[in-house]
Amino acid sequence: MDSEDDDFHSGGTGMESDEGDADYGFVENDSDDSDDIIYHRHQNYTILGEHDIIRLQMEDINRVSQVLSMSRDDACILLRHYKWSVNRVHDEWFADEESVRKAVGLLEKPIEMPRSREMTCGICFEVYPCNRMRSAACGHHFCNSCWEGYIGTSINDGPGCLMLRCPDPDCSVAIGQGMINVVATEEDKKKYARYLLRSYIEDNRKTKWCPAPGCEFAVDFVLGSGSYDIICKCSHSFCWNCTEEAHRPVDCRTVARWILKNSTESENMNWILANSKPCPKCKRPIEKNQGCMHITCTPPCKFEFCWLCLGPWSDHGEKTGGFYACNRYEAAKQEGMYDETERRREMAKNSLERYTHYYERWATNQASRQKALSDLQDMQAVQLEKLSDKQNQPESQLKFIIEAWLQIVECRRVLKWTYAYGYYLPESEYAKREFFEYLQGEAESGLERLHQCAEKELQGFIEAEGPTKEFNDFRTKLAGLTSVTRNYFENLVRALETGLNDVGPSSHLAACSRTSGSGGSISRAKSGKSKVVRSSAFRPGGPSRSSSDDGTHWSCGRCTFVHVNPSNICQMCGHQRQTCAHPSDNQ
Amino acid sequence: MTSTSSPSTKALSKIACNRLQKELAEWQVNPPFGFKHKISDNLQRWIIEVAGAPGTLYVSETYQLQVDFPEHYPMEAPQVIFLQPAPLHPHIYSNGHICLDILYDSWSPAMTVSSVCISILSMLSSSTVKQRPPDNDRYVRNCQNGRSPKETRWWFHDDKV
Repeated sequence: MDSEDDDFHSGGTGMESDEGDADYGFVENDSDDSDDIIYHRHQNYTILGEHDIIRLQMEDINRVSQVLSMSRDDACILLRHYKWSVNRVHDEWFADEESVRKAVGLLEKPIEMPRSREMTCGICFEVYPCNRMRSAACGHHFCNSCWEGYIGTSINDGPGCLMLRCPDPDCSVAIGQGMINVVATEEDKKKYARYLLRSYIEDNRKTKWCPAPGCEFAVDFVLGSGSYDIICKCSHSFCWNCTEEAHRPVDCRTVARWILKNSTESENMNWILANSKPCPKCKRPIEKNQGCMHITCTPPCKFEFCWLCLGPWSDHGEKTGGFYACNRYEAAKQEGMYDETERRREMAKNSLERYTHYYERWATNQASRQKALSDLQDMQAVQLEKLSDKQNQPESQLKFIIEAWLQIVECRRVLKWTYAYGYYLPESEYAKREFFEYLQGEAESGLERLHQCAEKELQGFIEAEGPTKEFNDFRTKLAGLTSVTRNYFENLVRALETGLNDVGPSSHLAACSRTSGSGGSISRAKSGKSKVVRSSAFRPGGPSRSSSDDGTHWSCGRCTFVHVNPSNICQMCGHQRQTCAHPSDNQ
Repeated sequence: MTSTSSPSTKALSKIACNRLQKELAEWQVNPPFGFKHKISDNLQRWIIEVAGAPGTLYVSETYQLQVDFPEHYPMEAPQVIFLQPAPLHPHIYSNGHICLDILYDSWSPAMTVSSVCISILSMLSSSTVKQRPPDNDRYVRNCQNGRSPKETRWWFHDDKV
């Protein structure tokens, strides 16, 4: 129940720097975002289908095979051992080839066992002509059917079959795909190939499967390259780091807490609603499991009340019908004032009110996003063509509509997560909360404006009799709204990601309409002190110290908006300027 | 032969039968030193007597091993346990289960009963102290209802004994 008690999860939030084979050439690009069509511009990942995976795996194997001049089979074994990192294979190999060979089970050259005409299989102890026997590079011969059994048992035990060694207990030579493909059954060969493919994605540090159910795409991610947001070809968007759905601007840790909270809370909530009443004073839920109606809440509250009417016990006594009956309750119930379950629900809700507030809004935006997503699909599949007919416009000229809808879907997602953000924003950080809620409110209404335009106004043009001259104005309006909303949300995301610590004035301006080279004016959290000169004046909670160094501006004590005019009311939140509390401020 | 519960046994496959017959024949010609196979007509369960090696803590003691073979022996490992009383050893539980990697994860079909026996004797011989594993009581309690040691997830950590 408590919001404090679910602080269970940590880690995975920081950007881990990567000394692996990441491509560091990828520098964050800060030119203006405004004329960008695709939301995620600097794409730092590639979506891979099965064919791509096989091709990449082949390429890696070929590279190692060529550089180390070994068979592709051996190269494959080596790569798998070093988690498919070509660089690591090379490093380890050239550092100490001998111990790598030993660890992996690769011989420098095959051992020729004396081959007589007939040999005894080391497993079934039957004697076979030597053409029915086979060995790996180590020369330990076994008959074909024992090989098949050995390999089949291992493959059916799971992906451990990729590390198969010679059956001889004193030999540790690796058995690769070559041998599998010669002796295993067709079914086992397929299983083995599948494990090999999966290993390439699952063991590799820079690839993962898309977590959407049934999706078979994988992602190749440029480690250390910034944003974790991935949009798969199946249209599922998720976070590279925690593989939950994409959740910018909230960090992975908060998401994990929120998801856990949602799952436990729904059970808790049901139980509480059914079985408990909150103490009328401290709101802690109380389960009555026995005894009379006189309830004393546990210390420190110690409030004494009547279980039936939830009034203070001090009002009870002979005048209410004795200590063990509650006339107030009985009478009220007869008058229909007490619908027991209704009242209980209301009270329980009271104690969970805060959580519910955020959860409902989170869930509503989630639902709204789903709806927008299906509207978008409908738009692409049906409506666009209709509109193109009606308005005499080639479909290529109608891309702005799709962009608007893509933007709506993305904004709903961001907005949704701002509610998880808000839930965990400490109550004590008053100025931050106020400012956050203001930003969120603006985001909400901006998005509503866009959604309305893309939904309702567009409908008019689809249903119109013929081409309308207003369509061009509509185009300008919707494209404009899309762009404004995009900028606003991008700034919002950045501001929240930096913990609202160094919100610069441009994010306010963005709210008003256009941006001036977004990103440029809001420093990243990591940049530390470098922007102190500008942002200290606007840091939430800091107006008393900083607002008046030159006497020409003041920042609102509640939302931190900076004013250059001498008015006493905040333009943004309407908060009264508190001059008396801060004598150092300019008057 | 009705001692302890047998593992969920299916009859031996033809391959397993052939191989066991060969193993048995080889054993009769050339038994591993210190072991005696008790004659029976049950090919699927062998009872083997072990004599503690001279110069070790177990000298002049004898114990009995029970070896049960699965349907797909030798692709699958045999189940090997000590019958009561099991020797006091840091890797042998009081219910007779043996913590030895080749009986589980490291089994290879190229191993034989004979090679397993030799490994067990070597494990016994290298012991420097007669005591049960530290988690004996907990483990044995968990194994009630005749759980097979092959269902245990063994953690092999000590390569000295």
